[in-house]
Order: sequence, then C-alpha cells, then structure tokens
Amino acid sequence: MTAEGADSLGLREQIAQNQQTIDRLNRDLEKKSDQVRIIQQISSEITSTLDLDQVLEIVLRATERVLGFQHSMILLKDLAADTLRLFASRGYDPSGVGAEVAFGEGVIGVVAERKRIMRVGNLRAGIAYITSIRARLEAAGEVAPGGAAAKLPGLPNAQSQLALPLLVKDRLVGVLAVESTKSNAFDELDEILLRIVGNQAATAIDNARTYQMVEKLSRLKRFFSPQLAELIVTGGADDPLKTHRREVTVAFLDLRGFTAFAETSEPEEVMGVLREYHAEMGKLILDHEGTLERFTGDGMMIFFNDPVPVPNPAERAVRMALAMRDRVASLLGRWRKRGYELDLGVGIAQGYATIGAIGFEGRWDYGAIGTVTNLAARLCGEAKPGQILIALRVAGEVEDLIEAEEVGPLALKGLAKPVPAFNVVRLRGRLNA
Amino acid sequence: MGILPDEIKPAMQGVIPSHVVTCSRDGTPNATSISQVYYVDPDHVALSHQFFNKTVRNVRENPRAVVWVISPETFDAWDLEVEYDHSETSGPVFEAMDMQIEAIASIVGMKGIFKLRSADIYRVISVTKNIGERIPLPDIDKLAGRR
Amino acid sequence: MIPDRVVELLHGPAFMQVGTRDAQLRPAHAWVIGAVVHPDRKTVTFFVPESRSARVLSDLQDNGRVALGVGLASHEAYQLKGTYFSSRPTGDKDIALQETYRTKWLAAALQAGYPDEIARPLIRGFAYRPGVAVTFRVKEIFLQTPGPGAGNKMA
Repeated sequence: MTAEGADSLGLREQIAQNQQTIDRLNRDLEKKSDQVRIIQQISSEITSTLDLDQVLEIVLRATERVLGFQHSMILLKDLAADTLRLFASRGYDPSGVGAEVAFGEGVIGVVAERKRIMRVGNLRAGIAYITSIRARLEAAGEVAPGGAAAKLPGLPNAQSQLALPLLVKDRLVGVLAVESTKSNAFDELDEILLRIVGNQAATAIDNARTYQMVEKLSRLKRFFSPQLAELIVTGGADDPLKTHRREVTVAFLDLRGFTAFAETSEPEEVMGVLREYHAEMGKLILDHEGTLERFTGDGMMIFFNDPVPVPNPAERAVRMALAMRDRVASLLGRWRKRGYELDLGVGIAQGYATIGAIGFEGRWDYGAIGTVTNLAARLCGEAKPGQILIALRVAGEVEDLIEAEEVGPLALKGLAKPVPAFNVVRLRGRLNA
Repeated sequence: MGILPDEIKPAMQGVIPSHVVTCSRDGTPNATSISQVYYVDPDHVALSHQFFNKTVRNVRENPRAVVWVISPETFDAWDLEVEYDHSETSGPVFEAMDMQIEAIASIVGMKGIFKLRSADIYRVISVTKNIGERIPLPDIDKLAGRR
Repeated sequence: MIPDRVVELLHGPAFMQVGTRDAQLRPAHAWVIGAVVHPDRKTVTFFVPESRSARVLSDLQDNGRVALGVGLASHEAYQLKGTYFSSRPTGDKDIALQETYRTKWLAAALQAGYPDEIARPLIRGFAYRPGVAVTFRVKEIFLQTPGPGAGNKMA
C-alpha cells in the first residue's frame, strides 16, 4: 500500500471511530436528557408546595422512580447544633425516622461537615482495612483502645453509599443519601443526576422548613416573649409543648367591676381600657420573667418557672402582683375620673402542674393543669378589690419579704378542706405597698 | 491527551485491591498491593499517602512505577505505566480521599487516628489492557473442574 | 531463613505478585499464581503466567533483581527481595501445585469477606497455564503490613 493509501485508510478508520463515538455520546445524552426532563418536572412539583413532609416525599419518590435508588433518606440539619436528624426515608423497615447523626460520623456526617458530595463503592473493604490497622496499633500500644463505632441509620451491610449535601447558597440544609448492599452500585452519572435533584430539593426543603418555623414562631409568640419564642423554635430551649411536670407558682388576676363596666360602657371605651390594662400588665409580666399562659378579657393566668426555670418564682410572683396593684391604682385614678369602678384582685399558689400541649390537631395550645391552678383561680375569685391572696406555700417562701394579714381558712369550691390564705399588705420596710 | 478509557473507572473504586511496583534509585524493585488507585482525570491517577512506606520513598527517588488494576464488573485488568508527578495536601483529590478515610474511621470508632498525609498524583504514560492474563469471564469455572 | 509464617503464606493462601525492573529502572509487575519454598528455606520458586513472562524474564536477565510481595486479604504482608537464579516452563507437577494453591487462595478470599461474585471470577480468572517457573534466592525479608513496624527487616 502506498503511503497515501495508508494515510487515507487510517483517516477513514479514524472517521468511522469518531462517528461511533459521536453515536455513543448522542445515545448517552438522550438518556440523560430524558432523565433531566423528568427531574425538571419534579422540581416544579416540589417548588409548588410549602408542606415539608410533602416535599420530602416527592424528592424520595423521584430518587426511587426516576433514578432507581431503592434505599434513600433525607436528613435535615438541626437548627441549633451540628447534628442531622432523619426526617424521611424510603426502602427501610423500620423507617429510622428520628435517628440522629452527628457531623463527621459516617459518610452522611462527613458530607454534612465538609459540604461536598461523596461516593463510596467498597465500604466493607475499607472497614476491614482500617479495623486491621486499628488492631495492630492497639496491640503495639501506639493508640488507646478505640472508641465506640458510630451508630448510624441505614442498611447494616451497606457496601455502596452516595450522599449529597443539600445547600442553599453555602448553608447546609441537610443531606440526601442513597445506599446499596452491592459494591460499586453508583457511578458518575448517578452522581450527576442526584446532584440535580438535590439542588432543587435543597431550596424547596429550606422554604418549607422556614415556613414551618414561622408558623410555630407566631403561635409561640402568643404565650412567650419574642426572644423566648425564637429560642424555642431554633431549638435553644426545650420544646415547652412536650408534656412535662414541674413545680410552678401560678398567679390568677382579674379586674373587679369589669363586667359591670363593660355592660354599661361603649365598646370602644371597653377596648380602650382593656388595651391599656393589657399593655401595662404585659410589661410587668415580662419584667418579672413570667409566662402568660392565657388571658380572657380582663382575667389572666401567669406562671413562673416554666418553660424557663427561674430562681425564686414565688417571690417574683408576689413582687409582680404588688407592682401590678400599684400600676392599676394609678390607672384607676384616670379611669375613676371617668366614672368607672375598677380594681385588681389576685390569687397566687405554688405546686406541681402538668404542662404541655393542650387541645387537638391544628389547635394546640400551651397550658398547665393541676390543683395549683385551681387553687390560684379560686383565691383570685375570693380576693376583694385590691387584695392579693396567697396560699400557705407561697406565704412560707416570702414571709421575710412581706407584711401580710391572715384571711383564711377559706372554703373554696373544688377543694376538699378549707385552705389557709393570706393577703399581701405591703413589702416590708415600705410605707406604701 | 486522554489516555485512560472510561471503562477503567470501575477498576478505580477500591473494590478489588490494586498493585503497584516501584524501584529505588539503587535498582531494587518493590511490589505491593494497595486498597485503591484514584482516578483523577484521563491522564492522571492518585495514590493516598497515609503511612511513610517503601513505595513513597521509591517514587521520590525514581518516579517511574507500574500500577495494576482490575474491574470488579468485567474483570478486565490493566497495567498503567505511571510517573510520580507531585503531592497535594489540599484540593478535590485530597479532599475526596480525606473524606473517605474520615467516614470509615468514624464507622470503626477510630476518628482522628488516621491522617492522610498527601494525595500523590501520578501522570499516566501508557495503558495496556491485559488480554492474555485473564481467562474470559464465561469460561472461568469450566477450568480444572474445581469449585 | 524464611520464617514459618511466610512459608505458610507462600504455599497458599496469600495473594502474591512479583516486581522487576529494566535497565532504565522502569518497573514491571506480574501476578504470581503459586509458589514453593525449597528445603534450604532460602530458595523460592514462583509461577507466573506465560503471557507476562517475557518482560519479567527480560528484566531478570538484565539485572536479576526480584521483589516478591506476599499478602493476605486482611493486610498481613511481607516483601521478599533477592536475586534471580533460573527459570523453566511449568510442568505437570507445578500445575498440580498451582491447582492446590488456587483452591486455598479462593477459600481465603471468601473467608476474608470478598463476596462470591467477586472472589471467584477474580481468582479463577488468571490464565495461569501455560506458565513459567522462576527460581530466586531470598536475600532479605521485610514486614510490609501497613501500620506499626512496616518496613522492618525480618530476616
């Protein structure tokens, strides 16, 4: 063959090979385009809902149906700490929902910590390798006997894992992870496709979660100061809606003469008085770090030592009540000029209550139940205008602080025996209360 | 250039150990097995440097090495003639290796004990698929009648 | 001179590979499918597939340097270094030894946790016949297991 002939043959071969490559690439691209199209459709599904559970469900359904991953899970970052919690899973029994993973633990924890995708196909080999080195290091005394193995959710005999950080800008929202008992189960294409799903999911999940938080925050702000509400929502304080028992000091108060006043006055005037009263009382509650559990018109229930423990709850309750009495007295001056007969009555008791969510699905409220709340309410009912009636326990706690007169024992509805009760006259060392 | 074919990627997942042979400057070869050869790009592979060993010492004196890998899917095997190029202590290759070590160490309860010293990057000079070395997959169990 | 444990591994079930190098210090690799230690416990004959033998023999004829890596899947590993002595094609007796070796090797791999669908094709898939038997004198043995003591000379 001539040199030219050889060249043109080589060239033809080259062209044929190139064509083969182009055909293969086109086929791959078609397959990829199909999957990309389906994924784009899914992304419009998840961005159209703000329900967190729905979003998670759609994402995992997609990872199973479109990408063929049989075992998948989504973990979300805890709002306050560097840990993840399993929120949704597919292909696991039991589901594992609720499990916690700390940053740096296992593939999922390392992905969260480094905010980079990670794919392993040979977990068992890797584990065997490090285990054998560990054994020899321990035997040679070069290292203390190893710590506990990380307790991780997922398949006990997983060989392949692919985990993707869910990021919004650079902030970690959570981790999307798939795994398999087969080695080398995931390839580059799987990584690419999971990335696409994950990026959409990250934004949708973040939005749904934010919406959830805002909802909860607005609910909590009805009972707690904005700071405390925020603390609860971000996980900085225990969830007060989880049922628990605690010893609390409860104060009931209401405005004597309010009913008569409301009946004989214009609604605008009533609202005006109420608004002023609530504003002033509200300030004092916050000042003394009390929790406003409920208010009905002119009546209020406030307690101390929950959801945040405070020192000297009884003392705080009494001081608050005295401050309120003072405040109402100065407001009264103004209201009386307009012809209203209004005065404060307070009842304070201390004891254990069961506290948590009271109500039903869609209408949970934070409330306390126990003898202590009944006692405080009844004492309030018995209080004459301007009186602050306290039960024996409370009196014991504050006896050095106050001057009091005995008004009991009082027979109170709902309580078997008559109860000792005292009226707080004034703080010791003060001429006026 | 693009020497490494796509089909070699499964061989670089660390499922079946690979082998690497190096040679010191005074001419003594060293043959060892390693858990994983990492695919960097079509012209580069990487080995993880955790413990200082003969392989590391050799390539720093004499950069030429040969790496043998096998695919756990097709059981095709390749010889790669490579040359040690440089070491990285940061960047995507190092990070990927480091993350893997950290993840597995935590699973075993050995966090913080293993340090990845560097990712050693090698330039691939040639790739040879070892046809003669392997019995074709379908024929394997027919041989010698042994199970 | 070769410790008992290493002899045990050489006779199966270890994974073995040989390293050589050419005149330009370019390394070469070959799988070793079976080996036998001579009564003097200094001489070792190992078997490489014929398809790999050309390069190995060419290197050995050039400089005679041999490195034999011997290891278990659980990462117990040794390195034997020495000088080339002779070679010949494998015969029936060698092949019988190799069959025994392959059986022990597969059993060890399965026990080490390799799944059947990996261990079997991997180990059974080496074209070990025809083969070449290479004999060398062991000069040094090193512990090669990664971790504490790696690189220590044993003998």
